Amino acid sequence: MLMIVRKSFILTLLCLVSGLFVFADDGNTTEEFDASETILHHVLDTHDWHITDIPAGKDEHGKTHYIPIALHLPWFFYSSRDGMQFVGSTEGLAEKGYMALHDHLYALKPGVTPPTDAHGHIDMDEKTLEAWEAENVDHHVSVYDLSITKASLHMIMVGIAMMLVFSAVARGYKRNQGKAPSGIQSFFEPIIIFIRDEVAKPYLHDKAARFLPYLLSLFFFIWFSNLFGLTPFNSNVMGNISVTAALAVLTFLLINFNGTKDYWIHIFNTPGVPWVLKFGIPLMPIVEIIGVFTKPFALMIRLFANISAGHFMVLSLVCMIFILGKNGAQPGGAFGIMPLSFAFTTAIFVLEMVVAIIQAYIFTLLTTVFVGMALESHDEHHH
Amino acid sequence: MGTFGILGAGIGAGLAAIGAGMGIGRLAASTVESIARQPEASGDIRGAMILTAAFIEGVALLGEVVCLLIVFLNPQGVA
Repeated sequence: MLMIVRKSFILTLLCLVSGLFVFADDGNTTEEFDASETILHHVLDTHDWHITDIPAGKDEHGKTHYIPIALHLPWFFYSSRDGMQFVGSTEGLAEKGYMALHDHLYALKPGVTPPTDAHGHIDMDEKTLEAWEAENVDHHVSVYDLSITKASLHMIMVGIAMMLVFSAVARGYKRNQGKAPSGIQSFFEPIIIFIRDEVAKPYLHDKAARFLPYLLSLFFFIWFSNLFGLTPFNSNVMGNISVTAALAVLTFLLINFNGTKDYWIHIFNTPGVPWVLKFGIPLMPIVEIIGVFTKPFALMIRLFANISAGHFMVLSLVCMIFILGKNGAQPGGAFGIMPLSFAFTTAIFVLEMVVAIIQAYIFTLLTTVFVGMALESHDEHHH
Repeated sequence: MGTFGILGAGIGAGLAAIGAGMGIGRLAASTVESIARQPEASGDIRGAMILTAAFIEGVALLGEVVCLLIVFLNPQGVA
């Protein structure tokens, strides 16, 4: 037992250290270091899964060339000019008359070639680029980007991981009926039981079984995504506001489709409130209707902000190495700050592992509480 | 907006942190007191505390996100 604990501890430590090296590897020694750009690049969603750059010689200006190790994801979009399109590469985009810039797709006027080099970079300052855009981008064509981006790819990966893990857990339940759990089942069973007995049952009572599959999926999806985001190379799925917005919309639908008669009466004809405030000046209904929307909105913001904040903190602490090392020009500064940065980052990583499960728990708990409130019927206790 | 925008974002982030700190501090104080008075109800009290803490934190994070947006949408903030 002690051996396993020690092994897993060493493995965790290795993961954290390798994570640091990965972040640290992204420094580009020839240019001035821009902390906020680096942080944003790591936090935002992109169309390629960029792992690292390998330096490969210098050109005639003494500028280092880098070979990126990255997985380029295909473009899949609807355009009002050409209909549905599926394009594998940047060159393919140019052939069809489109250009990707800062992860947005632009339709170009016929016969225009995008000013990108082989790696998809544009060597232009901002003003020239703006002038070029105004002249050559066809703004009458609307492009709807439906591509599988890095975050959606990672969500699919989390989904596959969950399917593998939970089919193993389910097999364990079948095999060990009436016996003690074994294998991976023994790790997940207490958590499943916790969600059932401490989250679902106190708020949903006899209807708990109906909502439990969704609540468990929600909890484990958020938790797994958060943990996945803490491993090297991976994006922060739950630090993407579109993902949390989708989860919040699901909660919103779940609350309002399950709302009983009493739930709607409480919104439009709140009991115990003078009729002037309901029908004369409809203050209470307005407040209640705003409340319907603020509940999922707060869920969305909370999850997004918590996970993003963790990634920002880790990246800022790692960026300290590059800021004090002047991006390779002053190695003493980099080596001086490294122990401090390493210690802080490790501490934040551990904190983030706790936050990962706490945020998953809070999202699930609040969803349950809101659904429970909507399901409540007030026949037995009037107030 | 310029520099003052960033200054405002910094002050705003600080104020949001102060508000959340006061709220969570009061909440924690009352929770510890209630658990000390009635240790057998600690499970229920803890559940209520986490729920309320999440609400307080949600409002504070809303403030922090607004401040973050000010910094990132500010041309001087990203440059």
